[in-house]
Amino acid sequence: MADLEIRDLHVRIEEREILRGVDLDISRGEIHALMGPNGSGKSTLASTLLGHPSYEITEGTITFKGEDITEAEPHERAKAGLFLAFQYPVSIPGVSVANFLRMAINAKREEPIQVKEFRNELQHAIELLDVDKRFTSRHLNDGFSGGEKKRAEILQMAMLQPDIAILDETDSGLDIDALRTVAEGVQRLHDEQGLGALIITHYQRILHYVKPEFVHILMDGRIVLEGGVELVERLEREGYDEIRREFGGGEASAVAAGDSGV
Amino acid sequence: MKPGRHREATLYHALAGAGAGNGRTLEQLREAALKSFETSELPVWRRSGFWTTSLQSLDLDALSVQPEAVGDGVPDVVTRTLPDGPRAGRIVQSAGAVVHVELDEALAQKGVILCSLEDAFRDHSELVTPWYSKRLTIDRQKLEAANAAFWTGGVFLYVPQGVVIEAPFQIVYAIDSPGVAQYGRTLVVGAPTSDFRVHEYDLAENFDGQALHAGAFELYLQDGARARVAQVQDWGSGEVYDVSTRFVGVGRDAYCHWLPALLGGHLVRQHLELAISEAGGDMAFRGLFFTEEHEHLDVFAVDLHETGPSGGDVHWRGAATGESRASFEGLIQIDPGAQQTHTYLQIHSMMLSPKARVDAIPSVLVSSDDVSASHGGTVGELDETVIFYMQTRGLDRAAAVRVIVEGFFEPLIAELGDEPLEEVVRAKVAGKLAAAREDIEAYATSR
Repeated sequence: MADLEIRDLHVRIEEREILRGVDLDISRGEIHALMGPNGSGKSTLASTLLGHPSYEITEGTITFKGEDITEAEPHERAKAGLFLAFQYPVSIPGVSVANFLRMAINAKREEPIQVKEFRNELQHAIELLDVDKRFTSRHLNDGFSGGEKKRAEILQMAMLQPDIAILDETDSGLDIDALRTVAEGVQRLHDEQGLGALIITHYQRILHYVKPEFVHILMDGRIVLEGGVELVERLEREGYDEIRREFGGGEASAVAAGDSGV
Repeated sequence: MKPGRHREATLYHALAGAGAGNGRTLEQLREAALKSFETSELPVWRRSGFWTTSLQSLDLDALSVQPEAVGDGVPDVVTRTLPDGPRAGRIVQSAGAVVHVELDEALAQKGVILCSLEDAFRDHSELVTPWYSKRLTIDRQKLEAANAAFWTGGVFLYVPQGVVIEAPFQIVYAIDSPGVAQYGRTLVVGAPTSDFRVHEYDLAENFDGQALHAGAFELYLQDGARARVAQVQDWGSGEVYDVSTRFVGVGRDAYCHWLPALLGGHLVRQHLELAISEAGGDMAFRGLFFTEEHEHLDVFAVDLHETGPSGGDVHWRGAATGESRASFEGLIQIDPGAQQTHTYLQIHSMMLSPKARVDAIPSVLVSSDDVSASHGGTVGELDETVIFYMQTRGLDRAAAVRVIVEGFFEPLIAELGDEPLEEVVRAKVAGKLAAAREDIEAYATSR
């Protein structure tokens, strides 16, 4: 039994069905890549897994560590050990990175974390992810560059130590240095803490730095192809169009291709 | 910028030119104010159809000044609220009487004066008379006249030339029980190149029944003086009416950082005017407000430039829960001849319940051409995306909302630059959020 089990998941937003029966199993220690063209439903899956209120599950279940979390509140899923690194992290003015991290950590615990323990963990995460120490005293994502926002996401992931992290297009808009830092951070959390990850991406380049064991291709709300890392190489050679010709649902593809970021 | 008017649907005006003082003695001013009091009605302010601040529910005749100290003197609400950190001095008025005065001995040696305004008229009339009511009026409305006619106790703070003080002076107006009409009167004078902090606390016990605070506050900064002035106002859950006028005058090359934190009162109407009166004056005019339940708050903040070059920077933030109403009118007024003035006004507000309302009305009156003046702002509700983001980090909805609202106020609170005072304000904001928790929860999930 996998830690995170997604069964026949159908999701609609504003009367439009985006996911049309997704099955996926992810366990601790596994790195999965979910790839697909714009509009295929990747971000919808990410948001739905964490319980975004705008996404309506019409069919199917999400089970995490044996518990049905299909209807659970987002913060309950987080406490259970799920994490979402956002494609577009929001800024929270007036709240420093360090203070926010402390609040988030304390939300998961009975007793508040000791100052010294917190400082040590923060220091460790900072070194692990090669971020500037001053970073943690800035207001969360407020005035951050794109790369800084993504680093802040990974820093939060390192501190919160989830079992399974979903990284929603964390690689988009990053220069190569930031991409490498982010990817290596994920890899090290996997190696050191046994993190399980679902790396959602449109491109292949992040997968040069993090090696997925499992690759899933999402098109028009369904996983149409699954395999190992060789799928990434095939995508690089052939592009999504070739795979769509082979597996894609023809009728919805034209519509889906016109929508991005759904 | 071209001279011209840009005022729409606004209600209030800056105090016009010179105040009431004008060489008159205290007795003459009291007499004139009494006449005005006797011939005027309790005020009602209406702005074209959608805003009314009315004092008609106030039973003024049932209230009394209570000029004598009762009981132990310093009310419990003062002891509970004021931070214990270092201070330059503290003066407490309860109802109509000054019940506590303390001043750092070393500062007294340097000529600093902190005493009741009554005592100041007796002992330091040469320092008081030139400034008393210099810019405040006494007859625009009944409660202003009442203050000028009936004030007792009062506060006088004088910081002599060149004296620099890091620790704050604490000025407290407290109302311990219903039935009180408190006519608070504060005069602060910063002599040239003095540098100091003033923290005013306006506090009341949570009682049942009516009380009134009709305050008049004036602060004058002479050449090169610098002051950081904060006001923490929380009149508690009683039916406290607060109708006050505050004027800060900034002299040549002087600077004032002024931050009123208006955190509670049944009906609060504040006229807050910061004037750059001489060349080179500069200021930062901050403010925050947070209304709850059925509170009614009406703020008029004036950024007045009487001469240039001068600078200004006005930044207010407000939030409202319950069925409270808040109106913020912000006026930039640049008088003829105030060339090379540069100023900016921003007001950000946040509504935390479906029945709460915040009106923010910025306006600009410019009578010089070589100036820049602009305004901006935002009106916000809770952002579901931000709440979801924090929920995915393990915070529940209520905690997420608290983080958002505290973060919303934090940039201004942090500017206070005085940790104990900041903690007082943060605690009050947190307390209001906790009290409104169910209200906010219902609102957020209903959308």
